[in-house]
Amino acid sequence: MTSPVRLTGVAGAPGIAIGPVWRFDAAEPALQAAGRQVPNQRPADAIEAAAAETARQLDSLASRLRDLGREQESTIFDAQSMMALDPGLLDDAVRRAGEAGDPAEAVRAAAAAAAELLASLDDEILSARAADVRDVGARICRALRGEVLHLPAVPSIAVCDDLPPSVTAEIPPGFLLGIALAGGSRTAHAVILARSLGIPAIVGIDGLIAAVDGRSAPSAQPVTIAMDGERGEVVVDPGARVTTEFREREADLALRRANAAGLRDRPAATADGERILLVANIGTPDDVPRALAARAEGVGLFRTEFLFMSRQTPPTETEQVDAYRRVLEAFGSERPVVIRLADIGGDKAIPYLHLAPEQNPFLGVRAIRLAYANPDLLLTQLRAIWRAGAAARVVPHVMAPMVATLADVDLLMSLRDRARDTLVGTGLAVAERMVTGIMVEVPSAAFLAPELARRVDFFSIGTNDLTQYVLAADRGNAALAGLQDALHPAVLRAIAGIVAGADSAGIPVAVCGELAGDPAGALVLAGLGVDELSADAGSLDAVRAALAGVTRPQLDALARAALDAFDAETVREMAGALLGPARTPDAAAPG
Amino acid sequence: MRADEIEVRNSSGLHARPAALFVKTAARFTSAVTVQNVTTGAAPANAKSILAVMGSGAARGHIVRLTADGPDEDQAITALHDLFASGLGEEL
Repeated sequence: MTSPVRLTGVAGAPGIAIGPVWRFDAAEPALQAAGRQVPNQRPADAIEAAAAETARQLDSLASRLRDLGREQESTIFDAQSMMALDPGLLDDAVRRAGEAGDPAEAVRAAAAAAAELLASLDDEILSARAADVRDVGARICRALRGEVLHLPAVPSIAVCDDLPPSVTAEIPPGFLLGIALAGGSRTAHAVILARSLGIPAIVGIDGLIAAVDGRSAPSAQPVTIAMDGERGEVVVDPGARVTTEFREREADLALRRANAAGLRDRPAATADGERILLVANIGTPDDVPRALAARAEGVGLFRTEFLFMSRQTPPTETEQVDAYRRVLEAFGSERPVVIRLADIGGDKAIPYLHLAPEQNPFLGVRAIRLAYANPDLLLTQLRAIWRAGAAARVVPHVMAPMVATLADVDLLMSLRDRARDTLVGTGLAVAERMVTGIMVEVPSAAFLAPELARRVDFFSIGTNDLTQYVLAADRGNAALAGLQDALHPAVLRAIAGIVAGADSAGIPVAVCGELAGDPAGALVLAGLGVDELSADAGSLDAVRAALAGVTRPQLDALARAALDAFDAETVREMAGALLGPARTPDAAAPG
Repeated sequence: MRADEIEVRNSSGLHARPAALFVKTAARFTSAVTVQNVTTGAAPANAKSILAVMGSGAARGHIVRLTADGPDEDQAITALHDLFASGLGEEL
């Protein structure tokens, strides 16, 4: 028996987890490419072998979930295993591959076609299965390319330097209890994912890897750790006493969450009745049910990159219409949905765009900048949005990311109008208008706010990128974690200027970065005059509760003090003082 | 060849779990087995393909036509008929 080791990092996502460690190391063979491609193998044989391997993996996932009593989740993998061996799917893939084609691309295309067929049946249950078919296709592709992931075999806490999204997506629901990263930052993708799954995450934990690996003997049981995502605490080998302590914290957190959920039936407002629109960030149409359940009053950021990534050809207009329409219909005409145009650049592998690799992709040709030379991608997307708005009978809202100049806005508006003009006369229905805004996340746009505000319908501040650009600190560089806090007064002054510019033209300002989902950050933003906060559905309860506990004069005072502060820690402390302790109902005192 | 028509009576039709059960049963036989949604007029689908079976869109109240052709066609039709009659593992 060894004594517990306490470590601290930066709080990423709240929650308590205690469980065995699952070590992931991107440099090691957990994720290894080009393992089993057999030279000169016929595409048909390669596809058959990869499909059989995929079905075996899915079967074993299903049986593990059944052993854990998660019958409902296990049936998903059962059905996927049958899809992997589906004769229709495999025949189609073999036919597409022919004698010398790329078997992986053939499988992807066959799965996409099967998925589109199911989605076209206009049946809610079957549309949901369409995503399952695509996922099976992706798994077979990975098997064909020899990419092997050793996933956790029991529900575990991931311990690693950083956890790429492609890996987290592979881990079946319920197998990830928490994420503890030695590197990463508060805005790392793994943290965003953890918030959406409702599991804890901690980043930048010094000494984590050494402490965990130092305990593991090859034959021994995996190391157990306990983590508190709210306080940023990790305990390696917690033992009985620390385990009890963390279980008590878990009960306390559950109580605070229940209190916050009790506010859901009222729209978000301050204690003195000022309304702040509270809306959700979503990444795919599959996120809609969670956003609705959290009582989002709309969607402030519908990321559309999911349509463009992990494929060999651009998404069709019809495919996009379908995805947008599903989200627009779910929220209806009373709760606006803001669709963000594709935020794509040289840091993402999009083979069909043939983007030149860049030294510095975050300062490169990305998003709206791509459209100067190559407008088709955005034109197709805008046409799909015009059509989806008409199909759902709502006025669609769009915004362009990465807008830096007035010329960028002129380009956006002309693309929007051209997209509509190409539809008029084709017999396809078009929305009556499109509310058009921009993301303000580049310092030049913050300086130009008054002029930009006269040309657009709304601003949405992306605090993640604004912070990285204002402080010139790479979001992904753990060594710069101290410069990645959006509560830095320099960033807050930029936001104050953006709000003033918007006010001068009478347009609303939203914030859709991670700061909006952080209760302390939400108070500062509301104090600075932001009208709308957009965050992951899992953060809305806490933000609603924070707003309900303060008055406008308190928020104004907080904003004034924050703008005059010297560093982010001071601002966080001042906002934290307004948040106050959790209210505990007398009847439910923790035992 | 043997054929049979039967009404879908379980609550969610040939979706997800019931479809998986149906396909697993059909796959036990060497005969070629098809299922056709007569109500919607869809084409006959390979009963051993879960994607084709789900794609038939058979919902509660629809009439489906089963065919089996091969050495164990009698047993196949009987087994699949009984499966529908018992509600494909769901409440009727």
